[in-house]
Amino acid sequence: MNKERFQIITPTTRADYRELVRGLTKLSWPEFMLHDQIAGILWHELLDRFAEYQLALYDVENDRVAAMGNSFPLRWENSLTNLPEGGWDWAFMEAVNNHKQGLSPNVHCAIQVVIHPDYRGQGLGTRTLDAVHAVSQFKGFQALIIPVRPSEKSNYPLINIDDYLTWKNEDGLPFDAWLRVHAQIGGKIIKACHESKTIRGTRAEWEQWTKMKFPQSGGYIISGALNPMEMNLEKDEGVYIEPNVWMVHQVGD
Amino acid sequence: MNPNRFQLITPNDLDDYRKLAGEIAVASWPEFMLHDPIADENWHELFDRFTEYQFALLDTETKRMAAMANSLPFYWDQPLEDLPEGGWDWVFLKAIENHKNGVKPNIQSVIQINIHPAYQSQGLSTKMVHAMRGIGESKGFKYLVAPVRPNQKSKYPLISIDDYITWKTDDGLPFDAWLRVHVRAGAKIIKPCHQAMTIPGTRAEWEEWTGLKFPQSGTYYIPGALNPMDMDIEKDEGVYVEPNVWLVHEIS
Repeated sequence: MNKERFQIITPTTRADYRELVRGLTKLSWPEFMLHDQIAGILWHELLDRFAEYQLALYDVENDRVAAMGNSFPLRWENSLTNLPEGGWDWAFMEAVNNHKQGLSPNVHCAIQVVIHPDYRGQGLGTRTLDAVHAVSQFKGFQALIIPVRPSEKSNYPLINIDDYLTWKNEDGLPFDAWLRVHAQIGGKIIKACHESKTIRGTRAEWEQWTKMKFPQSGGYIISGALNPMEMNLEKDEGVYIEPNVWMVHQVGD
Repeated sequence: MNPNRFQLITPNDLDDYRKLAGEIAVASWPEFMLHDPIADENWHELFDRFTEYQFALLDTETKRMAAMANSLPFYWDQPLEDLPEGGWDWVFLKAIENHKNGVKPNIQSVIQINIHPAYQSQGLSTKMVHAMRGIGESKGFKYLVAPVRPNQKSKYPLISIDDYITWKTDDGLPFDAWLRVHVRAGAKIIKPCHQAMTIPGTRAEWEEWTGLKFPQSGTYYIPGALNPMDMDIEKDEGVYVEPNVWLVHEIS
């Protein structure tokens, strides 16, 4: 692969950044994952408040974006081992609140690394993470924290996340491919965050998102979900609570 | 579609009948479903003892086998509501035992109706159900029963089979497509049989069958399975117990 083929671009280096990354998130996730309320409300803040923390890998040969990394800075005074159960949703709200209040951030948090489906299996996950890591370094943070989505857990929705994150391959690396990518470049697993994303929808919405039917209340296995979703017909509400894994990359030496 | 395109054939009509029928089974079932010990030990009995209860649809245009079905006769003198929880495994063993003991059968049971993936959604399943009833009719049986695999339940492995069989579409027919085919052809749902098939395997076997890993004991979601599978690492055994649904067609 031509080393020069992928160029790191940011909203500040490319005027058409917004157009280039448009649709990438949608392509990469199961439909229901696009209905996290916090993400729905706050997504625009990434470009409004934290533009210098957004980046993408641009495929020069094909004039399109192959991968994207989204992150922001936040303030965390406590030990990293005490990072909250609220994971992804918490970090996003915290970063926006900190910024609104003018608090000076002291930690870098990545909330998404996505690879375009056409570019998977080529090591671009590692390259994108390296680029995010370089942002931490450039900004002078000592830690990059990430509520990681262990993507292969969707094959094991009945195993609890606390057990799942202890699963190892024979080489001692995490069983989960995405946790492994992080571990291979120095990420350490801190612990699970059990309520990293909360996705609520009516029965009709869930039926539309998943192409399933929900004729009764109860737990349902949803393709692509890491845990079962709970449907409550009396309340006309299905709730999916996604567990993620807090990982930390130490920055600098 | 040419109405005469599909020709009903029996095992004696084709030299490689069993091979072609086996190919449909392999193409249509998740791998683990091919490892029910009762089926594996006794499958040959369908052809050794009950040949006239086996049939297939030949596509006369392509000379391919488009669908195949297996059934067998057995003896049952109790109410149909009392058909056993053992469902599929039970009826297979019962038919062989009856036949060995020279007990004259009075009822027919479906074992399998299987449509080649390339021929699905063309109404062949209904044709097959009617052909199946035709056999029972020719034998003078009053009932055709079937431990039916409600195959869409694999999307709902956390819902109990007792609940699942009550699910209806807007037109009042069963939610499950296979249950619907039977009901449209006149069948009635009797009740679930909760242990219709029992498939045990070592951890290594289950890993090979499913492509999954089983690092710890517990309950696992298995694609294509109607209920979760229980893995016991200490015993080196995973057990999947499949629930089916007893249906009955009254044929005379």
